[in-house]
Amino acid sequence: MALMEVRNLVKRFPVRGGVLNRVIGHVHAVSDVSFDVHKGETLGVVGESGCGKSTLGKMLIRLIEPTSGTIRYEGKDITTLDHVELMPFRRTMQIIFQDPYSSLNPRLTVRSLLREAIAFHRIVPRAEMDEYITNLIRKVGLRADAADKFPHEFSGGQRQRIGIARALATRPEFIVADEPVSALDVSIQAQVLNLLMDLKDEFGLTLVFISHDLKVIQHFCDRVMVMYLGRAVEMMPCLDLDEQARHPYSKALLGANPIDDPSDRRPLTILQGDVPSPFNVPKGCPFTGRCPEVIDRCREEMPPAVSHSDGHLVACWVASEGVAECQRGA
Amino acid sequence: MTGRLLRSRGARKFRRNRLAMAALGVILLYFATAVFLFFGGVSMEATKERVAPKHTPGFFQTPDLDQRLAFAMHFISEVDSATRLASRRDQHPHDILVEKALAERRPARLEPQRYDELLDEAFGILEEELDLVDNIADHPELEPRVERVEEIAAAFFPMPTGWEGRAYWSRTFLGSDAAGQSISIRAIYSIKVAFQIGLITSVISVLFGSLLGAAAAFFGGWVDHAITWVFSTLSSIPYLVLLSVLIVVFFGTIFDDPERPFLSLVPIYVAFCSTFWIGPCRVIRGETMKIKELEYVQAATAIGFGRVYILLKHVIPNTAHLMFINFSLLFIGAIKSEVILSFLGLGVKGQASWGIMIRDAKDEVASYFFWQIGAATFLMFVLVLAFNIFTDALQDAFDPRHVD
Ligand SMILES: Nc1ncnc2c1ncn2[C@@H]1O[C@H](COP(=O)(O)OP(=O)(O)O)[C@@H](O)[C@H]1O
Ligand SMILES: [Mg+2]
Repeated sequence: MALMEVRNLVKRFPVRGGVLNRVIGHVHAVSDVSFDVHKGETLGVVGESGCGKSTLGKMLIRLIEPTSGTIRYEGKDITTLDHVELMPFRRTMQIIFQDPYSSLNPRLTVRSLLREAIAFHRIVPRAEMDEYITNLIRKVGLRADAADKFPHEFSGGQRQRIGIARALATRPEFIVADEPVSALDVSIQAQVLNLLMDLKDEFGLTLVFISHDLKVIQHFCDRVMVMYLGRAVEMMPCLDLDEQARHPYSKALLGANPIDDPSDRRPLTILQGDVPSPFNVPKGCPFTGRCPEVIDRCREEMPPAVSHSDGHLVACWVASEGVAECQRGA
Repeated sequence: MTGRLLRSRGARKFRRNRLAMAALGVILLYFATAVFLFFGGVSMEATKERVAPKHTPGFFQTPDLDQRLAFAMHFISEVDSATRLASRRDQHPHDILVEKALAERRPARLEPQRYDELLDEAFGILEEELDLVDNIADHPELEPRVERVEEIAAAFFPMPTGWEGRAYWSRTFLGSDAAGQSISIRAIYSIKVAFQIGLITSVISVLFGSLLGAAAAFFGGWVDHAITWVFSTLSSIPYLVLLSVLIVVFFGTIFDDPERPFLSLVPIYVAFCSTFWIGPCRVIRGETMKIKELEYVQAATAIGFGRVYILLKHVIPNTAHLMFINFSLLFIGAIKSEVILSFLGLGVKGQASWGIMIRDAKDEVASYFFWQIGAATFLMFVLVLAFNIFTDALQDAFDPRHVD
């Protein structure tokens, strides 16, 4: 059984406007997304900015209420739990944010922000608190004297380490890492990523790793889910991503990645046009406007997720043509 | 929370601002004076005591002969009535005069017959020489005679020396008002009521307004609608109207008793607070709108903290700088409003206030007596200026939207 099962998850944000400030439409941030997260794996979620990755990630840990759909964690539907029932899951599921600056309360020292979380969930007895905090700070690669400093005394990379420490403070099992290194200098991105992966192994975490950079995902994740305009368009193991990617959008993303091997002469598929607004999405496949392989059917009907091989789902009419058993995925 | 504020980058920026530090010094000086007055450093009676004849000018302006004579005769007539009473009661005149010590000037103890001699001389000069002219001020040749009368007055009530002399000077160096009360004492005493009103109304308004504003933005929904509705409605009522209504409501109750200076201010507190909280409420509501979307608030939610805890621990402390700026703005707003209300006769009753002094000075200004209005406006001006500089510097240092 999967650790987390997500079914038909939808999030629409109302858009208000006009003199009366009435709801004049909706942003379809996440539309009908279904997938599983297996225990101990790292699931990458990739897509352009604004495609709904953060919204999805925050819904998984109930920071954003889904409009519809279900999320089961260890078999239990957590979408309908109230504040009190959610408490054990709050301890178990944590998040690492993108922005190292706005993700730390400027008025709390590292110690007080960690202690707050640890004391709230009674992770360790009071007497062992200081030792636990010191250990945690060391684990994320900071010096013990960082405990009594304020966030503004740290660099972006160090702050991100503090954010990781906070996420680990409650001994969670499941962590959503929402573009944890996108805001950092390239030179320290790798350090923080490696730290994250080491900690994942050490604590046996299950990770949902969100990024707009397919290369990073390829490097660190077991499976990848490609999102486009609020929809999951392809889901596959990372291992043979380059060869196996079927969806035109995934292929375009791979093409947009800088290529390590200069002898690789694959033609670059350059994406044409702009991302359509998630406000009033066209019917049919959302990628039609920019797709190089578009056919008439794409404009009429949203393609279902079709299993191409074990664990490889593609939502594309063209790519799925000829795949015999057109079964709905997940 | 405050410690954090004092160590912040903003605080360092503020400390580098020389002008702002000077303004802070001035404010602290006023504050120390207010505390001193509040704990009875100067009694309220001292503000009502007759220290000199009416409209005595201050230190650098020489009074004309008319005024000098009136001033001297003020003492002499006291002695005159005291000696009469003394002879009837068969007492020493000094025993009666000691009870009538005028300000810091104490009566001298003379031989009993000396009182009559000097009084006769003084009244002689007055009746035979000075009363003959219409306006002594137009007759400079009479100055030696006026001086003699002054000497006699000083014989009865010698000018105090040493510390007593200084105390006497401090009461008279800015002159006296129409009732002979010390302008310097009254102007300084007014700091007390100004600070009392300023502090009480701004502290209550800022705390109340910020809490409501933060709650409105943070909880949204009907809480926000209700609070927004209340402040939009209230802000359309000028506090003068509100105050007039309150004064009618409180008319004749213990809140309308000049003998109870503290309680008689209650209508002002109520009127000010009920409109002043709107400013901080709006500002903090806007700031909370921003803060509640920040990731550290989401992180706190992800840990599982309750909404109220997050509001109190993670949101409101991060609006402290704005509360501070608003406090400073409201404080000075309250003081200015107090002065205007007292000027209109709606404000402070039964104690000295700059507004009352300015109102009393209305008629003096027409006859070129500027000491009272000058003293009141000067003290107020310095305080308001210092506070404006201070608030500006606070905004520079703590409010990122405020460009320098
Ligand atoms: N609170 C919100 N209210 C309205 N629209 C939102 C809100 N949060 C996100 N959106 C919209 O939803 C879409 C997806 O946003 P997001 O999940 O942040 O994308 P990503 O993380 O992939 O960049 C965007 O178009 C964004 O404007
Ligand atoms: Mg995002």
